[in-house]
Amino acid sequence: MEEKELVRLSKEGDDEAFAALVKKYKMKVFNLAYSLTRDAEMADDLAQEAFIKAYFALPKFRFRSEFGTWLYRITVNHVRDYLRKKSRMNKMLYEGFKENIFVQEDEWAKKEKAQIEEQRKKLVHQCLQVLPENYQVIITLRDIQGFSYEKISEILNISPGTVDSRIHRARKMLRKKISPLLSQKGGSHEM
Amino acid sequence: MKCKKAERLLLQSFDGLLKEKETEELEDHIKGCFLCQEKRTQYQAILDSLKLKDWPEPKPYFWERLQPKLKEKQKDEVWWGWKRWSMRTIPVFLLLVLFLTAALVFIPPGNGVELSESGVLLLRNLNPLEEARMLFEEEKIENKNMMLIFLAVEEKNGTGSISYEKQL
Repeated sequence: MEEKELVRLSKEGDDEAFAALVKKYKMKVFNLAYSLTRDAEMADDLAQEAFIKAYFALPKFRFRSEFGTWLYRITVNHVRDYLRKKSRMNKMLYEGFKENIFVQEDEWAKKEKAQIEEQRKKLVHQCLQVLPENYQVIITLRDIQGFSYEKISEILNISPGTVDSRIHRARKMLRKKISPLLSQKGGSHEM
Repeated sequence: MKCKKAERLLLQSFDGLLKEKETEELEDHIKGCFLCQEKRTQYQAILDSLKLKDWPEPKPYFWERLQPKLKEKQKDEVWWGWKRWSMRTIPVFLLLVLFLTAALVFIPPGNGVELSESGVLLLRNLNPLEEARMLFEEEKIENKNMMLIFLAVEEKNGTGSISYEKQL
């Protein structure tokens, strides 16, 4: 059955049609939530809540965009609310992480390349999480999910020009956060 | 080219948005600029680190877990819908009560209602049997006759006992 038909039936309260839509999009919605939170448990909860929100918002869906784009918008907005609530905790974690990274420096130098790579990923992610939530979202959509500028502009309901300038500012800010952590105390964390 | 412009082009280059000429200009600048070389290395490493290799999966029975939540939420929606509706109804109901009370207080009762002659007399705190009493109490037969004539004329003209009283 076509997606439009499934959406139409879901709007009329057909649970089986909505189940088919959930089956089709659950991985994408989960991945989007996971790439924003990096917490599988939380991503699962957020994905379920996003589908619940979508189900009750279906009567307002007017087929002006693709169902997937509309669903991503709901997911992004829902995860944004969660990130806003979590942002203070992230800042505290980041401060702790920043201190820890230098204490363990000698040990870290001995680690294997794969472990260093893993640690670097953690560091980048930790820094990403303390960016303003707008920047976290745009970097996730572009650099993790790989959405095109046009798709991002549809999901976030902003112009492609704004997408371009926001990506630029977000990446600059992320590098600004990371580079002091890497350049201090010699270059054992050099990229 | 200044480093600021080079950084903008550098970031756009990661998304494949540069024209050939811009790419050449950027490469020329980077060759001679140590700072921009370092920036490129850092940006590239950051973008590589952001990419996820192992994506976890949602917990099993996604739909089976979602379905009861939807049903539960549906019940809540009905309750909340009723509550929202009742919350809107309460002020309307109060306004209606207020309006009716005001109507009862400010609009005089009986407006437009036709009252009988006795009713009118009772409302004016007069005895409707006064005329009959006066008639019976009159001793002179001439006066009684005159009173009966006046009453008959008043009844014919539709004027009340008030005017009769005045005449008396």
